[in-house]
Amino acid sequence: MHRAVYDWVRAGEVNSDAGGDGRATFDVGVYDLSPEERKAFDNQDIAAFYQLGLHEVLINRYARACGFSREDYRKALEPYGKKEERKGRWQK
Amino acid sequence: MAEIVLAYCSSHAPMMSSQREAASEEQRKNFFGALDFLKQEAVDRGVQAVVVLSNEHYTNFFLENFPQYCIGLGEKNWGPTEEWLPIDKVWIPGHPGLANHIAQYTLDHGFDPAFSHLLELDHGIMTVYFELDNDMKLPLVPIVQNCAVPPLVPVRRAYEFGKALGDAIRSYDGLERVAVVGAGGLSHWIGNPRVGDINEEFDRWFLEVLESGDLEQVLDMPNEEIELAGNGNHEMRSWLAVAGAVSATQPKATKLAYEAVYPWITGMAVAQWETGLGETGLAETNGTAATAAAEQREESLA
Repeated sequence: MHRAVYDWVRAGEVNSDAGGDGRATFDVGVYDLSPEERKAFDNQDIAAFYQLGLHEVLINRYARACGFSREDYRKALEPYGKKEERKGRWQK
Repeated sequence: MAEIVLAYCSSHAPMMSSQREAASEEQRKNFFGALDFLKQEAVDRGVQAVVVLSNEHYTNFFLENFPQYCIGLGEKNWGPTEEWLPIDKVWIPGHPGLANHIAQYTLDHGFDPAFSHLLELDHGIMTVYFELDNDMKLPLVPIVQNCAVPPLVPVRRAYEFGKALGDAIRSYDGLERVAVVGAGGLSHWIGNPRVGDINEEFDRWFLEVLESGDLEQVLDMPNEEIELAGNGNHEMRSWLAVAGAVSATQPKATKLAYEAVYPWITGMAVAQWETGLGETGLAETNGTAATAAAEQREESLA
């Protein structure tokens, strides 16, 4: 899953050897994804990726590449938030 | 031998380029005013090359090979990679002489950085580098760090790497005037339910620590505590590395700007370690100059 998302994001970026938008011809079928992972990919389902454990930096990159604003994907992820009880040394 | 004639850190939220107008006018004036001031300082001080420390965002590396540090040795590097980032995609000149010297020096002094002859640079370096040199012609030595994927370098180790980096630059005889810049932080969350939050209390405390020069307050901070100010707060390693690079001559930073820019989901700060002008009234001088630079920018945009 991580590899598929990483490759898809990078395929659409403007890399030094870029020859066009690689996302247009990206074949996710070559990756060994579970049915849940494949469904998340096909549906661009940020919340599902979060629940499946996709690294948060990749979630962010994927969301940006899909064109989701932070506000949009925050709404999708908010239900999975937990109240923070811990305190840092800077907190009075 | 080279001297570090300019040292500063800046937050690098990509929206500072892609959604610039989403910040309030006052926030833009303060934040970009500080960066404009530093850009002029680089010109006035005759900076010949810049070393920029930032962090890897799954642009060059994936999980099968994820170095803690990677130094860009190449004649040139490419960026920015993000198709949506409104900065021209160009080849950026490197400085192989300085970069190789940094790599060898740090290898000789207890660190094991990876190297690359071609780094693809994302917003992490490019937003801040672009604000330093809009023409993107200033030779750049990029250093990308792992600030995202455990296991992570302890922050004290990042500071110590910065000390070695500073010593490396000061022992290089191929240049005279070098800038060191850290890009990233301060508090922000990405890719999780708290995206959009900013921990202003942490940001202001962290900047006060940098201004005090008493970095022991932060150098033992464990990852779990760092993340109380966001998973993006791991990027404090770039700030502490720059602090380390100049610690021998200037342990105290000067805050030039801090704005909690919620549309950019990040506590946006700029701080400088004065290395070239000595101890004469830096904060007041910088504040005045930064404000003047901000006003000039606003006039040019009007």
